Amino acid sequence: MRPRKLLRIARWEATKGVGGFDRGAVAVIVAAATFVLAVGFVGITGGVALEDGIYRVGVAEDSGYHDPVAEDPAFVAVDPDPDAIEGGRIVDDRYDLYIEDRPSGARIYLAESGGEPTGKSRAALAALRQSIDRYNDRRMFEEPNGTAAFPVVVTIRYVERGGTETVAIGEAGGDGENGTETGSERDGNGTGSGGSDAEGRQEPSDGAGGTSSGGDSADGTDGRIGAPSLGAFDLFGTDETAGTPSDIQPPFPFQSLVLAFLFVLPLNFLIQAYGSSMLSERLDRRGELLLVAPVDRSDIVLGKTLPYVLVSVAITVVIVGVLWALGGEAGALSVLAVVPLSLLFLATTFLGAMFARSFKELTFVTVTITTVLTSYAFVPAIFAETSPVAFVSPLTLVIKDLTAASVTPGQFAFATGPPTLVAAICFLFGFGVYREEDLFTQRAIPHKVLDALASRIHRPRSVACVVVLLVPFVFVAELLVVVVLFALPVAVSIPLVFVSIAVIEELAKGLPIYAGFVHARYGRSLPVTLAVGAAAGVGFFLAEKVTLAVQLVGLPGSRVADAAFQTGLGSADPTVVALLAFAPLGLHVLTSTLSALGASRGRSTFVVGLVSAVLVHLAYNVAVVSRLV
Amino acid sequence: MIDVRNLRKEYGGFVAVEDSTFSVADGEVFGIIGPNGAGKTTTLKTLAGLLEPTAGSVEIDGRAADSRETRRLLGFLPEESPLYEEMTALSYLRFFADLYDVPRDVADERIADALEQLELDHRDRAIGDMSKGMKRKVAIARSLVNDPDVLVYDEPASGLDPLTTNYVIEFTKELAAEGRTVVFSAHNLYHVEEVCDRVAIMNEGRIVAQGPLEELRDQYGRTEYHVFTTVEVPGAVAEDGRYRQIVETMDGVERVREAARENGGKLDDLRTVEPTLEGLFLDIAESGGRDEERSADPTEV
Repeated sequence: MRPRKLLRIARWEATKGVGGFDRGAVAVIVAAATFVLAVGFVGITGGVALEDGIYRVGVAEDSGYHDPVAEDPAFVAVDPDPDAIEGGRIVDDRYDLYIEDRPSGARIYLAESGGEPTGKSRAALAALRQSIDRYNDRRMFEEPNGTAAFPVVVTIRYVERGGTETVAIGEAGGDGENGTETGSERDGNGTGSGGSDAEGRQEPSDGAGGTSSGGDSADGTDGRIGAPSLGAFDLFGTDETAGTPSDIQPPFPFQSLVLAFLFVLPLNFLIQAYGSSMLSERLDRRGELLLVAPVDRSDIVLGKTLPYVLVSVAITVVIVGVLWALGGEAGALSVLAVVPLSLLFLATTFLGAMFARSFKELTFVTVTITTVLTSYAFVPAIFAETSPVAFVSPLTLVIKDLTAASVTPGQFAFATGPPTLVAAICFLFGFGVYREEDLFTQRAIPHKVLDALASRIHRPRSVACVVVLLVPFVFVAELLVVVVLFALPVAVSIPLVFVSIAVIEELAKGLPIYAGFVHARYGRSLPVTLAVGAAAGVGFFLAEKVTLAVQLVGLPGSRVADAAFQTGLGSADPTVVALLAFAPLGLHVLTSTLSALGASRGRSTFVVGLVSAVLVHLAYNVAVVSRLV
Repeated sequence: MIDVRNLRKEYGGFVAVEDSTFSVADGEVFGIIGPNGAGKTTTLKTLAGLLEPTAGSVEIDGRAADSRETRRLLGFLPEESPLYEEMTALSYLRFFADLYDVPRDVADERIADALEQLELDHRDRAIGDMSKGMKRKVAIARSLVNDPDVLVYDEPASGLDPLTTNYVIEFTKELAAEGRTVVFSAHNLYHVEEVCDRVAIMNEGRIVAQGPLEELRDQYGRTEYHVFTTVEVPGAVAEDGRYRQIVETMDGVERVREAARENGGKLDDLRTVEPTLEGLFLDIAESGGRDEERSADPTEV
């Protein structure tokens, strides 16, 4: 790789248009910037207020109801006109509700139609009730003596499952200093609020387990209900809000997610321009002359990619700047978190552009990439406040940054490492097919995939290297499976995990083996076939062990993750841990050999071999892992 | 010096070039002709370092064709002109000069010379707005920005109008006259005859004949004698009030003259028809290089 050439190509890619900067890139930047400004502003200022001013209420300024109405944007306070009420009914269509204060109490009239209250006036009345409740709560919080306002205070803190945190339940806590310790560590006999799994085993408590005096809450609040933020009312999810017990909901970083979406959306625009540029090199054969020039293929690819990486970083910095200017907490962590995601989007798009035969196919590819990677970014991030599984996605780091929460180096590495590695490997495979023979031939996508795999295979043992390169893909795919399934009941999630893992891992081992046979990288004799199968199995086994270390950092204590990665960490028995550490070697060599035996005889027999391998793997999961994990 | 030894190139299971061996001396103009699918383009792309030989070797000045050093001294012109149409001719040529590490001032001088030689005035116009002939000239100029010692041109006049075609062929001759080594393929055999010192004829992936044009004529071609008589003789065909007999030797001519005299007539005209490259090509291609199956082209010269 030669940086000077790389930068020259990068500059050319960015400015090859007659007018200087490439028009496509400029369009992407303008569209992204416009979107960011619009959504950022709307998001931070509380969202699009579709309900603003939809109900008109006749209420006097000296009425006790005036302030609740005036403070709720859904209402418009209209001066009451006594002539608007005739015969106990509203006769003036300026009002949806009319509040008449009387010495005996207020009377509220609803606009009618055909002698019945209109739907709108009923909705207005319901909204008014909620508004009054919220108004009353606000007034109560303004009381200097919290005990007088809220004689009973419950503080809830959400903690990780499996922890021994206690929750504080206070009674008449008052100032928080006069409570009495009454709690005890839970004894693990199922008396806490943790549930039991399908096997009757006690799940770790989700926090209940002891009691203590009410006022001694962890955050030192003076008795407010510690319900987690409801994003719509809490700009960045950092402050607690209060409410009645019915208001308490699981923590869901709604507004942070919406803002985090800002960081991902421009990437979808960007990969369209990038994929189009890469594919046009192939379809018009324009890339041919670059290949003749004294430039490395990696320089060409990375040079063409670099402007898009820089644009994505620039857009991210702009978003951070906008959010920061509007009072948000976004900072460098958000930028560092988005870069791996950006690399992943670009790398997969590059590989897709190498495989697609037309812009139509490229559209299909980019839509698939957008869908899969957006899911990969968002689904885990939903659990940012509740589960370490959220750190599967770099977007969780953005959410943490937006909420000013701390992130450990291990969490950062766990969130950004796998996507960065997968991106690097995508580029590596792409370099392999960035040559005359592959760029300008119109082969179906499955054949191109095999070409890319075979480009790194030269002899039986190099199958092991390719399988090792695929392990990060396997790891990311398995993380996604974990994220999707971990919230389901164990009785459902574990079998599904077993099936998914068997299919993913056997494909990762079987496809390189098959690609090598298709491209005649080695012979089809039995000894060679057995050697290929063994190489793939050993390679996969060794690389898979790396995931053990990663799981130690990222997903401790998750049964679904333990089942997926089969590390035995869920077991306290060292024999089980040791068995699960080495038994997969036999499994992977056996199943790889089954795939190799099938692949050596042709496509249909490869399918048979692969299916056999999956079934054996599944049987192993059911027979061994489910008993030991 | 270009040295190709036992070149074999496979695409999947398809053999595009098989056991091809030839060499091109410095300053020589070497043409490769053959029908579609004969393996010409594959051979040229292997020379340009774009394709890796399945077997055999391709060396230029003792180095592998795909080495960076070799690519630096080579100018390649593919059959199509895959230009970046959103760029101007000048920025396009400067970009490629940069890739070849040509200093900007030298590059600008070379580009100016090339465009002047090619009579291309619209250097600041977007390539997409140019005619096909102008684009071809830009592509040729691009192949010259690194001042290459070796030019590999694949169908340089493909798809151009006769005027531009003639211009491109003449320009290629000028490049050859400057001492550059030129290897090029063409469908139009007239162009090959015009430019080449030696030719190779390819068919179905193999070189079926190669050598200087005169040698090929001597080896594979046959001179025909068209003998016109005033009276009919055995085997003659009536033509414009005369009778034409085609023979391949001067003895045959004498026999026809004797026969005409015996029939009361005389030899009216004698024309010598030399074999053209096209005739040679067709004959050799059809016979796969087997000498006994060829015949001369009857076209008059």
